[in-house]
Amino acid sequence: MIEYLPYVITVLLIAAIYAIFSLGLNLEWGFTGLINFGHVAFFAIGAYTTVLLNLSGVPLLLSVIAGVALAGLCGGLLGIPTLKLREDYLAIVTIGFAEIIRFFLLNEEWLTRGPMGVHVFSRPFEELIPGDYNFFLFPFVLVVLVICYLLLEKLIKSPWGRVLKSIREDEDVPASLGKNVFSYKIQALVLGSMIAGLAGSLLAFYLQYINPRNFMPIETFYAWIAVVLGGSGNNKGTILGALILWTFFSGTRFAQGYLPFSPTQMGALRILFIGVLLIMIMMFKPEGLLGKKEELTLAR
Amino acid sequence: MLSVHDVEKSFGGIKAVDGCSLKIKKSAIVGVIGPNGAGKTTLFRIISGFEKPDNGTIVFNGEDIEGVTSFAIARKGLIRTFQISKALTKLTVEENMLLAPQFQHGERIWNVWLRPKDVKRQEEENIEKAHALLEFLGLLRLKDEYAGALSGGQKKLLEIARALMADPKMLLLDEPFAGVNPTLAMKILERIKELRDNNGITVLVIEHDMPKIMQLSDHIYVLNKGKVIASGAPEEVRANEQVVEAYLGGVWGELR
Amino acid sequence: MLQLVVNGLVLGSILALAAIGLSMMYSILNFANFAHGDFLALGAYLTFVFSAILGVHLILAGAIAVVITALVAVCCDYVIWKPMRKKGAGSVTLIIISIGLALFLRNLIIFLWGPDLKRYDLPVKRGIELGSVVITQNQIVVIMVAIICMFLVHYLLKKTTIGKAMRALSDNIDLAKASGIDVDRVIRYTWAIGMALAAVGGILYGLITNINPNMGWFMLLPMFAAVILGGIGSPYGAMLGGIIIGLAQELSTAILPTEYKLAVAFVIMIAVLFVRPRGILGS
Ligand SMILES: Nc1ncnc2c1ncn2[C@@H]1O[C@H](COP(=O)(O)OP(=O)(O)O)[C@@H](O)[C@H]1O
Ligand SMILES: [Mg+2]
Repeated sequence: MIEYLPYVITVLLIAAIYAIFSLGLNLEWGFTGLINFGHVAFFAIGAYTTVLLNLSGVPLLLSVIAGVALAGLCGGLLGIPTLKLREDYLAIVTIGFAEIIRFFLLNEEWLTRGPMGVHVFSRPFEELIPGDYNFFLFPFVLVVLVICYLLLEKLIKSPWGRVLKSIREDEDVPASLGKNVFSYKIQALVLGSMIAGLAGSLLAFYLQYINPRNFMPIETFYAWIAVVLGGSGNNKGTILGALILWTFFSGTRFAQGYLPFSPTQMGALRILFIGVLLIMIMMFKPEGLLGKKEELTLAR
Repeated sequence: MLSVHDVEKSFGGIKAVDGCSLKIKKSAIVGVIGPNGAGKTTLFRIISGFEKPDNGTIVFNGEDIEGVTSFAIARKGLIRTFQISKALTKLTVEENMLLAPQFQHGERIWNVWLRPKDVKRQEEENIEKAHALLEFLGLLRLKDEYAGALSGGQKKLLEIARALMADPKMLLLDEPFAGVNPTLAMKILERIKELRDNNGITVLVIEHDMPKIMQLSDHIYVLNKGKVIASGAPEEVRANEQVVEAYLGGVWGELR
Repeated sequence: MLQLVVNGLVLGSILALAAIGLSMMYSILNFANFAHGDFLALGAYLTFVFSAILGVHLILAGAIAVVITALVAVCCDYVIWKPMRKKGAGSVTLIIISIGLALFLRNLIIFLWGPDLKRYDLPVKRGIELGSVVITQNQIVVIMVAIICMFLVHYLLKKTTIGKAMRALSDNIDLAKASGIDVDRVIRYTWAIGMALAAVGGILYGLITNINPNMGWFMLLPMFAAVILGGIGSPYGAMLGGIIIGLAQELSTAILPTEYKLAVAFVIMIAVLFVRPRGILGS
């Protein structure tokens, strides 16, 4: 059994990183009703900013903070032209933004080394950790996850969170009661993007080497599945969703040996399954595993 | 308190509001009546900033407010309700009420994280206030229900209570008593008058129920086809030939 | 430079065709269909399968592909969209379902036919030289087919009963319902026609370059840009928007690396949202 431990730890570690990433999306979609189809852009911005700044000599903590801040800034900027208009414009604009960021990472070789990617220069407390670094990184990420979760729960249960939920249902009501709906949407988008940026830094620490292929559009939809499967607007559900997703992925890796498909076909099957799952949940169980039916509205 | 001058609004070819002017004194209770499609709701939407007028000026409390966004108008103390009630059905009754108070500490992220005590204290005060209002309207036992589970009349009540929770200087009520049982409606009428007498709140109300509006209002405007066709004290309006003519035989026959 | 204009017009006609359907669905069903690009890819791949693998003549293969794509779209309406309409699902829910459908279609294509580039079995013909500009015969075919399709759409919308019903639906769905139009039927036709146009767009794309499973995904942003630029719900706006976006994308290659074509569509879209969110011909 014990020989499987590094593997199990790795799966849990990835799940935890994606749980953080997905919590950002849950704030935007689950609580505020914003459709962000380019969440991966902020993941990438966080990861690349952290690594590149650190490589050029900026202290690690400062690099992470800069990555988080830049992700938040970009989220806010995308919100400005879209959030006053119909809700689907944000979806279109974010999906485009994520692709452009990826092309930027691929093409601006002077900065990002293009498709070759960049190696992570230093990782938190690396010199103090003997043996398998993941055995340290996992609890570290877990602590970050718990902190994010607690801070978000606090927010969601506050008057601030109440305004978000009212926007999700019908933004005329908060507007008629003096709430600046646009400002709240921007806040949710900025905070959600910052969380994605933080998850990006953590991903870089895990991968040690990042390249544009780590930030394909599908990453965004991993987060969507985690959120929707667990229950939109339920942070515990999001974490559960991320865990289920990555357990499932590691399961399919074992299954690979028994199925007559090429690795490419297996990859396609997996994403195909994600697509079907997304459709099925939205059609038949939009409240997800842990969400409350009474709090979810289809008619939006 | 509120002065609306020559406001116009058309949708496509239809002139929904066609040069309306109203003047409402502080602490007045003013009724707006008129047949369906007269433009009453549109006028309310314009006043409350949910619709931009094509023309005209609106002054509230000495400030020009046309073109100001809806939330900013609400912040000035002009709170509206909706004709088709907009209780937030996915929130509980209590949450609906707690949404309303303006400038809450807990509406800022930093305060939530860094000043939880202040946020909590204010929240408790608001809860107390909300419970008192709910109690008065007989909704207190439903406070933890999702508002979606309420009946139509209860939702209208909740909406009025929520508007009152925002401490308005002026209320715009769009058919507030449709579907509310008559005894309760009377009770709310009394409450609104009381608020006027004690707090100096101003009320502009659209209502179809003639006896009720006659009894409640100090002044009435009659709208038809987007125009004010008559205005004055309830007795004057009742006696006005033009008004009677406009509605003779319709639902409004009871005006006689 | 003139060469870029030609290339831009060719790409623009493809975008224009594909964007018509997107715009129609957008205004009639009131949601942005993120699977639109993948229907385009489906059309291109079915043509490839029938012509290059099964040896059917390209024109016939294209026709079969268009019909199948339209049928798939109608099936999707029966299985997914109609039940969701009955449940009263709003645009936000539909958008998320459409992205699920997009992932499904794209990866079905990869699963069945692989992720690599494919090309139609076309005889290589010399282009026509006009001074410094070279126009290939395929490019001419693309523009001709696109023009014919646009005229057909125009005729359909202006002259046929179903076209008039579509316009009525997109103007005001409640009024259309009240006046006794069979909404479900009109919506099915809209899906069929919109997706058939997308499929034609995909096939034409295959005439000028290689096809790949992600082609629909890469066309999605320019298509949305075209729809928003032209004005949501305006088929003519979509055509105009498509041509403008196509031209802008190709002309940009004179000064920017080709990889940033997509960014050009993006920037135009953002600019439209700032300056005139209802688009050129939108109401
Ligand atoms: N958003 C809108 N678009 C088009 N027409 C509208 C709109 N809102 C109101 N109208 C039209 O304006 C007129 C006045 O409507 P409304 O203000 O709701 O009347 P009332 O509240 O007095 O019954 C009606 O003819 C209505 O059809
Ligand atoms: Mg009305």
